[in-house]
Order: sequence, then structure tokens, then C-alpha cells
Amino acid sequence: MSRRSLRTEAIVLRSIRYGEADRILHLYTPEHGRVGAIAKGARRTRSRFGARLEPFFHLSVNLHLSRGDLHTVTSADTLAAHGRLRERADTLDAAARACDAVARLFETDDPSPAVFHLLANELRLLDGDPVHARPAAQLAFRLKLLVAGGFTPQLASCASCGESDHLSGFSGAAGGVVCTACEASAFPLSEEAHGFLVAALGRPLAEAPDAGDRALRQAERAIAETAEHHAHVHLRPLARVRRHQSGPTIRVPG
Amino acid sequence: MSTFAPPVQRLITELGKLPGIGGRTAQRLAFHLLRASEEDALALADAIREVKSRIGLCEVCFNLADGPRCRICSDERRDAAVVCVVEEPSDIIPIERTHEFHGRYHVLGGALSPIDGVDPEDLRIAELYRRVTGEPEEGRDPIREVVLATNPTTTGEATALHIAEQLREKAPQVTVTRLASGLPVGADLEYADELTLGRALAGRRALS
Ligand SMILES: [Zn+2]
Ligand SMILES: [Zn+2]
Repeated sequence: MSRRSLRTEAIVLRSIRYGEADRILHLYTPEHGRVGAIAKGARRTRSRFGARLEPFFHLSVNLHLSRGDLHTVTSADTLAAHGRLRERADTLDAAARACDAVARLFETDDPSPAVFHLLANELRLLDGDPVHARPAAQLAFRLKLLVAGGFTPQLASCASCGESDHLSGFSGAAGGVVCTACEASAFPLSEEAHGFLVAALGRPLAEAPDAGDRALRQAERAIAETAEHHAHVHLRPLARVRRHQSGPTIRVPG
Repeated sequence: MSTFAPPVQRLITELGKLPGIGGRTAQRLAFHLLRASEEDALALADAIREVKSRIGLCEVCFNLADGPRCRICSDERRDAAVVCVVEEPSDIIPIERTHEFHGRYHVLGGALSPIDGVDPEDLRIAELYRRVTGEPEEGRDPIREVVLATNPTTTGEATALHIAEQLREKAPQVTVTRLASGLPVGADLEYADELTLGRALAGRRALS
């Protein structure tokens, strides 16, 4: 491989229109972290890239490296298009938020294969079954993302004093759950929410646990505060939409 | 410090704000205008001034209009029962060029993108629901079909799915359709991407 070019797997996090017909991509790669690249002519109908540079594509790309921040995409082959997750509003939204969380938490070109594989797994699950778009499953993904980034919240004992009983709150500043004596800067974390966080960390992403709405809101807050205090990143709140039994269908007349 | 007289520099700066125009092109255009006849240069200035003072948005569909209603909404021959939803006024032009669509339009003013902070209330989606569920104008049929013609991009798809879901609840009697996705005419199958080709296969038609 020449030093001016790079062949790598990548997931498209974002695709921004640029100039007349180009696209600027934010890619996440296993060995080079987040990479910016320009795809020239990608918006023309006859572009050889076709739909491949849309968000959520898992690709094998060739990049021509430039000295600046922006490389040039010279070819792209599909490893997974994730076509089914694009057919429902909830899976599409969950995929967008997953990619956004990765983009916010992992902004640099530091390699993190674990983050890459976690995101690839999340997109594969969302593509396979919309059940993975439910809030509990999205939170489990975020929690694992924090762990992959080294921002694991302490869940086994009080993050302030080490006490392992009477854990009743969560403090992003302290770095995890806290006991009743150390609750000053914390918000209340129910037993159910605590149990959810522990189970979500312990289980594979595909088997994310469930919890009630109130517990999930507390878990979401615990995850958001951890990201804010330790990664200095604001994560977008989950969408709280009314759920339907099935996704919308688009009918063809006649 | 600029090497040009302030009025020239100002022109270059203004031209440079246009999309796709870099510093060098802005300079080239500015010198072109300086060389052009006064008549030609002022015609451009007048055209800009006129478009800004006379063109607004259609009160029905939010297309560009030089009165309260755009030309399409004022055209009695257009079928008011079929509404084609697009992201931007510029998307109407290619659809009109096909001569395949005889209904009316609804311009959203963008596409949903939760991560960029573009939510339903930032687009003219509520206005669409009002149009679809409201009383039809005198002597007109109610809307029976909404064609979702947002771009086939991730944000365009998200917008179409969101609207389809809402319309199914708010106006179950209305047929909601989406532009078919497929292969560009004249392209080689060999170079087609998997998503496009997959959709083209899923949406195949019987040849009679
Ligand atoms: Zn304590
Ligand atoms: Zn109009």
C-alpha cells in the first residue's frame, strides 16, 4: 500500500452536501477513528458511488490521503447497506442517534476498533429487527459506547465513599452511583434503573434488558451526565415517540 | 489589507458569499462585471432587487410566488386532489419537466434531521396536515393522494416515513405514495449500488 492511499473499512456517520455535486463524509474506521473525506461528484445520478455514501453504510473504502483534514474517496464497496432499517421511522431515528453519539464521543483519529465493532453491531441489529430501536436498547448501546471510550460509570459501590449498600443516587461528577450519605450532587436513581444499568453492561447488545419508563429516564440521565462530566460531550436525548405496532407502509395506488 | 478599492472589494466579498463561489472565482466575476456595459451590470442588480421585493411564498403550498398564490396553485386545470410533497421549491422544477404530474405541490422547506436539530415543527408539516384534513375549497374534491417526493437521501427518507406515519392516523382515507426508487436510465447494472438495485428489484413490475 502506498503511503498516499489507505484501504479501510468504514461506517458513514454523516454525509453533507458540498458544492455543486460533492459530498463531505464523516467516516468511522476501526484503525483510524473518525476520518473526514470528500466524495467528488457523489450527488450526480450517474455517480459510481450510487447510494453507497449515505449514512449507515458499512463500506470498504479507498481513501487518497491529503495533508489536510479531508481525504478523497476514490472507491467504495458495500459490506452492508442496512436497507431494512431505512424502511421505518424508528429504526432510522435510532441509527441516526447511534451515529451521532459516536461522532460526538469519538472525534479524533485515535484508533478504537471496539467502538467501530459496537457501531457495526448496533446497525446490524437495527437492520435485523426493529425491537432494537426501543429506548432501552438504545440506552444499552450508549452505555457500552461509554465503556468502549473508557468512561465506565461505577455501578457496584458508591463512587464517592466506596460503600456498597444504600445506593440511591447517581452523580456524573462522582462518576457513578452514590449512597444516601453522599447524595449531595446526585439525582435519585431507583433500584430498577440501577438494575437496568448493571444488566445492560453485563449482557450482549442483542439481549439488552428492559425497564419501565421512569427507570429508563433515570438511566438516560445517568448516561448523559457521565458523557458530560467525563467526555465533555452532550448526547442528544432519545426520541420519545408514540410507538406503533408496525411501521408505516407506503401504498401504491391502483 | 485589500489591494482593491473598497467598492471593488465589497463586490468581491458579496459574490464570494454565493454557494460554490470561492475567492478566485469571486474576483473573476467582479472583474467581469467591471468590464461589462453599465446596462448589463445594472440589469443583474435590478433582477436581484426585483426578485427580492416581488417574490414571496405561496400561501397554499409555499412554492415561490409573485402574488399570494403560485402559478401552479392558481392554475384551475391542476388537480387539487393530488398533492406532491417536496423539500425545496427547486425540487418542483425537475418534476414539472417530466410532464407526468398534474396535481399540486407542498414545499416543506427542508428535511427532518434530528441530529442537526431539524424537527417536524421546523418544517411546514403541520400546514400539510391542515391542508389534507381541512375542508376543500369550493367546488373542489378533497385531497385523495399525497405523493412523498422528498429526496431519496437518509434525511429525505426519514421525512417521508414520518409524514406517512402521521397521515395514516390523521387522514386514513388518503392514499400516501412515495416516488419509486430504481436505476437511472442509461446506467450499467454492473455499477449499481446494492441499495438502489435491491429497491429496483423489490419494486419490479410485470411486463404485459
Ligand atoms: Zn457514599
Ligand atoms: Zn402554490
